[in-house]
Amino acid sequence: MFEEASEVFDNMFKSSFPLTFIVFIPAVLILVSPLPAEASHEFTVYRMQQYDLQGQPYGTRNAILNTEARTVEAEVLSRRCVIMRLADFSYDKYQKALRQSAGAVVIILPRNMSAMPQDIVQQFMELEPEMLATETIVPVYFAMEDDELLSIYTQTLTSSSSQGSLSAAEVLLHTATANGFQMVTSGAQSKAVSDWAITSLEGRLAGVGGEDLPTIVVVAHYDSFGVAPWLSYGADSNGSGVSMLLELARLFSKLYTYKRTHAAYNLLFFLSGGGKFNYQGTKRWLEDNLDHTDSSLLQDNVAFVLCLDTLGNGDSLHLHVSKPPKEGTPQYSLLKELEAVVASQYPEVKFSMVHKKINLADDMLAWEHERFGIRRLPAFTLSHLPSHRLAQRSSIMDVRPHVDVKKLSRNTKLVAEALARVVYNLTEKQVQDEQLSAVVDWLTAQPRAAQLVDKDSTVVSTLEYHLGRYLKDVKRHYVKADKRDPEFVFYDQLKQTMNAYRVKPAIFDLLLAVCIAAYLGMVYLAIQNFGVLYSVVRRITQPKAKAH
Amino acid sequence: MTLFHFGNCFALAYFPYFITYKCSGLSEYNAFWRCVQAGATYLFVQLCKMLFLATFFPTWEGGVGAYDFVGEFMKATVDLADLLGLHLVMSRNAGKGEYKIMVAAMGWATAELVMSRCLPLWVGARGIEFDWKYIQMSFDSNISLVHYIATASVVWMFTRYDLPKSFRLPVTVLLALCVYKAFLMELFVHVFLLGSWTVLLVKAVLTGAISLCSLFLFVTLVHSN
Repeated sequence: MFEEASEVFDNMFKSSFPLTFIVFIPAVLILVSPLPAEASHEFTVYRMQQYDLQGQPYGTRNAILNTEARTVEAEVLSRRCVIMRLADFSYDKYQKALRQSAGAVVIILPRNMSAMPQDIVQQFMELEPEMLATETIVPVYFAMEDDELLSIYTQTLTSSSSQGSLSAAEVLLHTATANGFQMVTSGAQSKAVSDWAITSLEGRLAGVGGEDLPTIVVVAHYDSFGVAPWLSYGADSNGSGVSMLLELARLFSKLYTYKRTHAAYNLLFFLSGGGKFNYQGTKRWLEDNLDHTDSSLLQDNVAFVLCLDTLGNGDSLHLHVSKPPKEGTPQYSLLKELEAVVASQYPEVKFSMVHKKINLADDMLAWEHERFGIRRLPAFTLSHLPSHRLAQRSSIMDVRPHVDVKKLSRNTKLVAEALARVVYNLTEKQVQDEQLSAVVDWLTAQPRAAQLVDKDSTVVSTLEYHLGRYLKDVKRHYVKADKRDPEFVFYDQLKQTMNAYRVKPAIFDLLLAVCIAAYLGMVYLAIQNFGVLYSVVRRITQPKAKAH
Repeated sequence: MTLFHFGNCFALAYFPYFITYKCSGLSEYNAFWRCVQAGATYLFVQLCKMLFLATFFPTWEGGVGAYDFVGEFMKATVDLADLLGLHLVMSRNAGKGEYKIMVAAMGWATAELVMSRCLPLWVGARGIEFDWKYIQMSFDSNISLVHYIATASVVWMFTRYDLPKSFRLPVTVLLALCVYKAFLMELFVHVFLLGSWTVLLVKAVLTGAISLCSLFLFVTLVHSN
């Protein structure tokens, strides 16, 4: 066979030139053409935030990277892609990478973020806003870890960290033969998106009973925030708020279907977008409703606006207000009802009101109710977080395990109960402990036996007065026993004073008489024989007198 | 209790007086009326004393536990009027020293018995409740009989013109003791917090001592010439 092949080749070479080309060129072309680049590992990366808010740029400015991989331990970092694991992440290392003008930073996140130790999670949560605040030209990416990526990391780690500790010969050998990784992104450079619309949703339940009913607005923002937009799941902030709002809407819509439970309040539910970007959705909605519309529910009688923000965990509830509610206003009654419900039904919950004035000089507003407060609508935000600055509100670590459904459900029941009490005006229609204990105290302070309570007694007149406060036609009715055949007869002398005298038995008197008789006998004898004493004394004194 | 007990106490209180009256030979001298006169003088003197005390002495406004020593001392000093009264009685009676003394003392002590002890006994001892204080009160009247005899004799000695110089001092001392005996007793009770029977005992001892001393002096005086 080989002989035949060689014969064919000989013929090809000897014969015309173009024929050889026709045979060879495809082969050459196939050999020479650039092969489709097969990357050693392909994975999805999520870029850090890039946005401008009120003219101020935040986050990373760049998206493309095509550089060699290194870890932080390497000496030369400039124009290299620095890979870091979340477990080893620290702000100093990040800063070091940026200072040495690294080409890019890739942070590898573990697949199961809730399995990480709490202090690392907490530390990262607190670092996210700082990373965003410093504007970087360097692209920062986040990737989810898998085995391949982990092995890439470890190989890069060994090669980076061993760079300093080898002898010159080894370094030379290393440079020639080492296995490096080139990180390349597939997309183009980032540019601004034009005409991006943030959507908000509103819906209402109309109250019954005429025009101009008061309106209660329930608001929750549905968007989430984190250091990387594709990784912001926002479970507690504000997934919990949205689910609570939907549940409240469902409950109240069921109540409003029946005439008997249809209340005299309009309920307006609003799911706002752009909440994490200084409540843009709410701002525009308020402007549209208050400035550009002739009549809207928000312009007339607004009882109060309740904003729900981060309610899926924790055992405390804080009602954030910009002005403490005055007595007699609907906001005050909601505050009181919340306190009452917590006190009577959920004693494990610690409820408090947090008063924070709106500071217009700040870049970002603290809570959503401040948007309403600026437009002079009474509003508050209910949250289990005591402060708006907590990192939990804007972190990629806020994933589903952060929400405890039992606590969310308890909080929902609490809010629903308090709202229902305000809406159905049940404020003083609960059983009041103080009333009960006051009446029982008064009743048990005196005996009330039938023989002691006559028709003029204070018990009867106080009871009459008490009934008269709430009832009409309070009348007295008397019953006296029948004269000839009485059903009951009472007797008096029910209270007496008793004296106890100390006495001696009768024999004692006799004994005493005997003793006294004896004593008197002695006295008699003494007096009879007084003369004896007299002469004795005389004899004693006389020798003195008669002595010479 | 009641009437029988009252009878007991009354007998205890009154019998010594009766016996003394009978046995001291006063009945032979028909001294009954003179004793009554002495009793009347006692009443008069007590009335004057009370008026004097009420007018000149302020009410004690101190605490319950404190004892106004000075105030009580001053009040006791008013009891000097007793001595004056005794002297008055004795001076109006003519007779031997002993006769005078006995009449004055008997009348005085009987008046005191009737005035200050009969009524409490009648009201208290007849009640159901038994209390030792009635017996004690009766004993006390016995002791005060002896006390008044001693006081009267000391007063008589004091007013004698032929009292030797050496006797002046003991007589004065005894006189003072007689007057302030009540005060001293109260002092003892307050300071030593004595029980009621102990008080009686101390009183008896004190009175016995005073009367013994006065007896000595009397005998010496009477039989010295």
